[in-house]
Amino acid sequence: MDEAVKLETTGSAWGGGASPFAVNWNKLMMWLFIVTDALLFVGFLASYGFARLASPSWPDRAHVFHLEFIAAMTFVLISSSATMATAVGAAQRGNRKTAVRFLLLTMLGGLAFLSMQVYEWTNLIRAGASLHANPWGVAQFGSYFFMITGFHGTHVFLGVLILLITAIRTMTGRSTAEGVELTGLYWHFVDLVWVFIFTLFYLF
Amino acid sequence: MTEMIHEKKLVNYKLYWLIWLVLLVLTVIMLFVGQGLFSRMAVVSLLLVAMCAKAGLIGGYFMHLRFEKLVLILIVALAIVLTALALFVLIAPDGARILRLSQ
Repeated sequence: MDEAVKLETTGSAWGGGASPFAVNWNKLMMWLFIVTDALLFVGFLASYGFARLASPSWPDRAHVFHLEFIAAMTFVLISSSATMATAVGAAQRGNRKTAVRFLLLTMLGGLAFLSMQVYEWTNLIRAGASLHANPWGVAQFGSYFFMITGFHGTHVFLGVLILLITAIRTMTGRSTAEGVELTGLYWHFVDLVWVFIFTLFYLF
Repeated sequence: MTEMIHEKKLVNYKLYWLIWLVLLVLTVIMLFVGQGLFSRMAVVSLLLVAMCAKAGLIGGYFMHLRFEKLVLILIVALAIVLTALALFVLIAPDGARILRLSQ
């Protein structure tokens, strides 16, 4: 079959029978998934930008958020991204124990981030924030905040589950380095989205 | 098929932790910038630049996009960036216009 495929190619990357992207299909599909998921958040953030520009009284972030706490959340997620990258590197080097150790550290980072998010949400809800009202400004603030951070938090939660499954599979020898790499791509994407949410929602 | 997939480049662990340090420094700078020492335009510009720098570092080094073929980098980056620009450029002026009309 490979011989037949080789005979059909014209020698160029686009000649057929080979990936023009020089990656195998599962990594390519993961990248395409990441692009589509990123576009989801692009839509949310563009909509938030519109609502904010059109609003006469968008809440002052200094009155609503404890920026030191949010900075700590950012630190946790960035650190979990670094441990994930280390896990991928270890898996690629065939060092299974190190890969599992850093996958579990990444999971801990994800769980810590989720706990901090729950704490933040609890405080805001107790202060009167909801999907349709809040004590600081226009009503849309609450719905944008909970929807955007809620979608991101759901991605983090699912990422923690994926990390757990990948760690178990790596431990038992059923996952290849590629599996760890694909998990890593998803986790870094989750961190990437937070970079934009942190800047556009909490710092602007 | 296998020979068409380029060799994986093994990145040194130290580079990941150096990137981690740079990301932390950028985060601290971003927090500092918003403290009221600069004009609003300067704050927005600096935050946007820092945000894009962080995104580039995560995408390029943690996600290894820097080591992939250019066509894949362009597909990922252009799809997201162009869509974001198009959405914002088409929608944002209406938001500002609505605010002006309501005042």
